Amino acid sequence: MDKRILGFIITLVAWAVGVIYLLPFIWMIGTSFKPIGEWGLPTLLPENPTGRNYLEILVTGGVYGVRGHFPPILRYLFNSVMVSVTVAILTSLLGAFTAYGILRYRAGGTFFANWILSLRMIPPVVILYPLVVLTKSIGLYDTVGGLVFVYPVITLPIVTWFMIGAFKSVPRETEEAAMLDGCTPFQVFTRIALPQASIGLATSAIFAFLFSWSEFLIPLLLAPSESAMPLTAFAGYFSNQYGILWGPLSAAAVIISLPVIMTAIMIQKYLIRGLTLGFIR
Amino acid sequence: MGSRSSGLLFIAPAAVYLVALVIYPTVYLYYMVFHSLNPLFDVAPKFVGFQNIYTLVQDQDASYAILAMLLLTGITVPVQLALGSLLALLFTSPHLRGRLVLRSITLIPLSIPAVIVGLNWKMIFFTYGPLNTFLGSIGLEPQPWLSAPFGHPFNTFFVLAVLDIWQWTPFVALAVAAGIESIPPDIQEAAALDGATRLQMIRHIVFPLSKTIIIIVLLFRLIDSLKIFDIIYMLTFGGPGNLTTTLPFYIYKIGFTLTAAKADIGYASLLAVILLLIATFLVLLVLTRVLNVKRVVWE
Repeated sequence: MDKRILGFIITLVAWAVGVIYLLPFIWMIGTSFKPIGEWGLPTLLPENPTGRNYLEILVTGGVYGVRGHFPPILRYLFNSVMVSVTVAILTSLLGAFTAYGILRYRAGGTFFANWILSLRMIPPVVILYPLVVLTKSIGLYDTVGGLVFVYPVITLPIVTWFMIGAFKSVPRETEEAAMLDGCTPFQVFTRIALPQASIGLATSAIFAFLFSWSEFLIPLLLAPSESAMPLTAFAGYFSNQYGILWGPLSAAAVIISLPVIMTAIMIQKYLIRGLTLGFIR
Repeated sequence: MGSRSSGLLFIAPAAVYLVALVIYPTVYLYYMVFHSLNPLFDVAPKFVGFQNIYTLVQDQDASYAILAMLLLTGITVPVQLALGSLLALLFTSPHLRGRLVLRSITLIPLSIPAVIVGLNWKMIFFTYGPLNTFLGSIGLEPQPWLSAPFGHPFNTFFVLAVLDIWQWTPFVALAVAAGIESIPPDIQEAAALDGATRLQMIRHIVFPLSKTIIIIVLLFRLIDSLKIFDIIYMLTFGGPGNLTTTLPFYIYKIGFTLTAAKADIGYASLLAVILLLIATFLVLLVLTRVLNVKRVVWE
């Protein structure tokens, strides 16, 4: 077959698939700018675009002047950012620490490495009730701190395995030389190994951020009030309680999605590596 | 290099943390299996022996939930692997134009929180939503996408399966594409010099070398497909009836919604143990045969 025709067909099919992935997303962005009468229309873009949905859900609350119908989401957004950023910093450091111990010292042996890997498998719903009891008993139930305390169960295994991969590409020789020069193991870690794996560390922090940002079931049950509930849990809870306020809901969805899509595109080189815990590089 | 004790110091914080937040809950879970705690009426769990196990044996909803979960996994994961591998071949084709943009687009369903994916499709599939309005305008019958019972041609269980396939096929595609691209170019050049066609190269070089990757992808898809919760919560809340109530969602209903018929945290704990056993069994099946952790980490 002619190379040009083949190339044309391949490009056409691949882009048809691309459109299937793009359309729902464009529709969501379009709806977030639609005034109330256009929400259900099958048009991709608004005829009379308005920023009212964003203004009302972010600042004033209410839908088209009806106060109390949709609370302003700034508070929930703030909770999301607080939890995700804190978890990202904490778990990337803790994960780097653990990965280094596993890789360089074989600490805990195959069993420990295996066990951490297996935690990736536990469905959160399984340990949810015990976690509710645990956070209640130490006074962290329904607080931002409680979520920060619990999320590493999800993010730590991911970060640890990602960092094992990152440290593997750091040459051992410089570390051994530093040891001979009298550095303590901890100094070797902070001054030699960690700086050389800094890209890996940053990427794993971003992964921890993305996973915390998307978490839904845990905050739904562990942080039911406004003072701690993150935006994802709010969007899910709200849409089930009050139904089809599509304009504001789409605006909230765009606010939740845009930062993570940007981040994912930025780190796309590492995305698959991260999602498979470093098994596929 | 270094001493044993400093290695233990490196892993100690994570080990202590994970013991507190994983081992303790697991032990508590097994304790609750033999207790009963109605979230509405009871203050403290009371010992009931094997009563939860009797309930489970007689509970048809539970058997259905297990079956629904396995069926959903059994449908979606193989389709994702097949479609994803095909898509990976397209993505790595030298003839494709706009590869980078296209790949960025397929990152969208992977990076958006599952709740938002669910919310988005919930609006699109709504009975008076854009999809049905569109179908009506071109003279086709609107469908009750999210409330079609079993036996309906567009039954909601399959809508759910199609959505999961939509969401996760790009993951398979990008992973397999990464594998194909890591094949050293000189192997492909040598084959091309020997006059191999692209189809022959795919069959004899790309496919055998991507085998490990496909199995790793299978492992991760398996794990995550047994966890599917957010999308069900958003789209159907387990309905219509209990058509889309898979095991994780059934556990949520029994343990955390007060209106469920058998609402009981002890019983939910037993179901959670069952889920854990099924997941462990399936994952071990793949893991022990294929992934050698010792080799991956230290060699």
